[in-house]
Amino acid sequence: MTTIDDFLLLVRDEIGLTVGPEHAELPLDQVPGWDSMHLLSLLSALERTTGRPVSLPDVLEARNLHQIHEVVTRA
Amino acid sequence: MTGGAVPADDVTLAGLHRSGRLAASYPRVPGLLADLPDDELTRAGHLLARLDPDEVLRHHPSTPVLTVAVTGHSTLGPLVPPLTAELARHGMLARPRLSDFDGYVFDLGDPGSALYAAGPDLVLCVLDPDIVFDEVPVPWTVADVERTLDAKVALVRGLAAACHRRTDATLVLNTLPLPRRFTAQLVDHRSRARLGAAWRAANARLLTLGEEFPSVVTLDLDPLLAEGIAAEDPRLGRYAGMGLSPALLARYAREIGHLARHLTGRGKKALVCDLDGTLWGGVLGDDGPDGVEVGEGPRGAAFTAFQKVVRQLGSQGVLLAVVSKNDPGPVDEALREHPRMTLRPADLVRVAASWRPKPDGIAELARDLNLGADSFVFVDDSAYECGLVRHALPEVTVVRLDEEPALHVDRLLRDGWFDTRELNAEDRARPARYREELGRQSFLDSFDSIADYLSELGVWVRLAPVTEAEIPRAAQLTLRTNQFHTAVRRLQPAQVSALAAGPGTRVLGISSGDRFGDNGMVGLIVTRAEGGVLRIDNFVLSCRVFSRGIETACLAAVLADARATGAGAVEAVYRPGPRNAGVRDLYPDHGFVPAGEEDGALLFRHDLADVAAPPPHIRFVESLEETH
Repeated sequence: MTTIDDFLLLVRDEIGLTVGPEHAELPLDQVPGWDSMHLLSLLSALERTTGRPVSLPDVLEARNLHQIHEVVTRA
Repeated sequence: MTGGAVPADDVTLAGLHRSGRLAASYPRVPGLLADLPDDELTRAGHLLARLDPDEVLRHHPSTPVLTVAVTGHSTLGPLVPPLTAELARHGMLARPRLSDFDGYVFDLGDPGSALYAAGPDLVLCVLDPDIVFDEVPVPWTVADVERTLDAKVALVRGLAAACHRRTDATLVLNTLPLPRRFTAQLVDHRSRARLGAAWRAANARLLTLGEEFPSVVTLDLDPLLAEGIAAEDPRLGRYAGMGLSPALLARYAREIGHLARHLTGRGKKALVCDLDGTLWGGVLGDDGPDGVEVGEGPRGAAFTAFQKVVRQLGSQGVLLAVVSKNDPGPVDEALREHPRMTLRPADLVRVAASWRPKPDGIAELARDLNLGADSFVFVDDSAYECGLVRHALPEVTVVRLDEEPALHVDRLLRDGWFDTRELNAEDRARPARYREELGRQSFLDSFDSIADYLSELGVWVRLAPVTEAEIPRAAQLTLRTNQFHTAVRRLQPAQVSALAAGPGTRVLGISSGDRFGDNGMVGLIVTRAEGGVLRIDNFVLSCRVFSRGIETACLAAVLADARATGAGAVEAVYRPGPRNAGVRDLYPDHGFVPAGEEDGALLFRHDLADVAAPPPHIRFVESLEETH
């Protein structure tokens, strides 16, 4: 999980959203099919993939996919 | 890279999703989900939850669909994907309707709520420990918790009563887990014990609500937690308001899937077991009837434990059978004479031992018992046999065991294939009745004509309004019967009661028997009198008593009764369902003429000018003329 593309692939596989680089900077509520519940599913998938804990409050504060990726890579 | 190991798009769920063909391929979904581990099933649920149920129904109009309202005290969005996946596993479609956070009191208490307006089939009211601990003061005592528990149980009981009054939906409640983060806040053991006792007492009251309100099912979460599932996830609880962990919600969803299966009349009815490696250890052909491993030694004890569970299922109406690749003689000898055998021939409706492929044996049994292959669960330790049955009979549920017999019990019981809401005497007697039925068939082989056979059979029929005690069985007949079911109208006990109470409507129970025994209640007819016309809204008959003229006799009695009580005509409805094509011509075959269509159902009409007598081989022990 180093690049934003790896991260977007995980979003696609994990929650079935067809997201690409063009969605990375969009506010989450404008990402087609996005639901705030997806964050909770993503959290466990991210931790499984990275093998590191991810801060849920920080993920919840992220406003777009790019910022979630930043939280994860910062962890 | 050859690419040979990469599955093509049309053989995985993700592939079908990517190519936009998931809705069109929906009947293949159960097969694709059958062997997925739990976390992948939830992932699949994310894909399936994105499907529009109406699009699936456009491709496959007969897919059973359930509107499932989800409400509760905490964040329940993560329940939707596993719930969708679990229903899809059973070939069903979910229309989930997720309530607002902590909306359950308003949802269930207000008769005008959006939850009721959605017309749900199932209402899941998910309760968690915070419904209590959110309301105790800080610092708290056990007495505070006891008071809050009392108030909450009374509240939930009131909501259950309101839901029962307002809808026919099944309301699912659950017991409250008691996490250590609460008990450990008390430093003395005496107080902890009191808290534990008060908590269990509250859960016990929740568990008895189902007896008070027939439409309520309370799921006991303790056995699920005892599997080692965490009740809570501290971070998701704290930051996202989740009262129960995602893993527990997924496990809960599995239970709901089986309940939904039962509610749509698709419960499993028969369990077919392999022998060598499944019911006993060793190889019968090599070790001989005395040498198979059962009852003694650690492995033998493990096989016995499994046999006990199989027999326990059989005692509750599950039809048990053996299909084994062995010579019949030694199989019979082992089952009959091995001193440590738990399952005996009397527990089994059939022992099919031969060298033919197992799917043939299962298909033949299905035919003889007059059941669909989708009513069967097959259990075997051989990957080859499991694969073969899955390939040849995809409707059969296959439970794969392995070489470790200590795991057999958990593997079989992991899914509630035979779950039902309530058992009655009829259920318990079912295996004996089916054994009698197989006896009737060999009896049939000794007659030259069916007429000879029927007159020798001595069939009797009782046709009368259902009594209070018969209502659960009447509801069950509508839930379990798929073939002889003219309007495919599934009824819960409360709905049967309402129809039986009238005015204008009647529920006539059909009981029958013959020289081989009492069949019990085998069918029902729902009628409605309206403006001088008697309408047969539904006619259900168990497949166990087909081909005996019972339907002809009962229709003749209803027609004669309609004429005697001054009706001008009798109308009847046939509504096409997935498996009831066999009764499409029931009414035309009995003197009715087509009278158009109504909401996708065919209407038929009988002018009562010429009412046929019941078949001569049938004796009525009670009929409608005694009921006026």
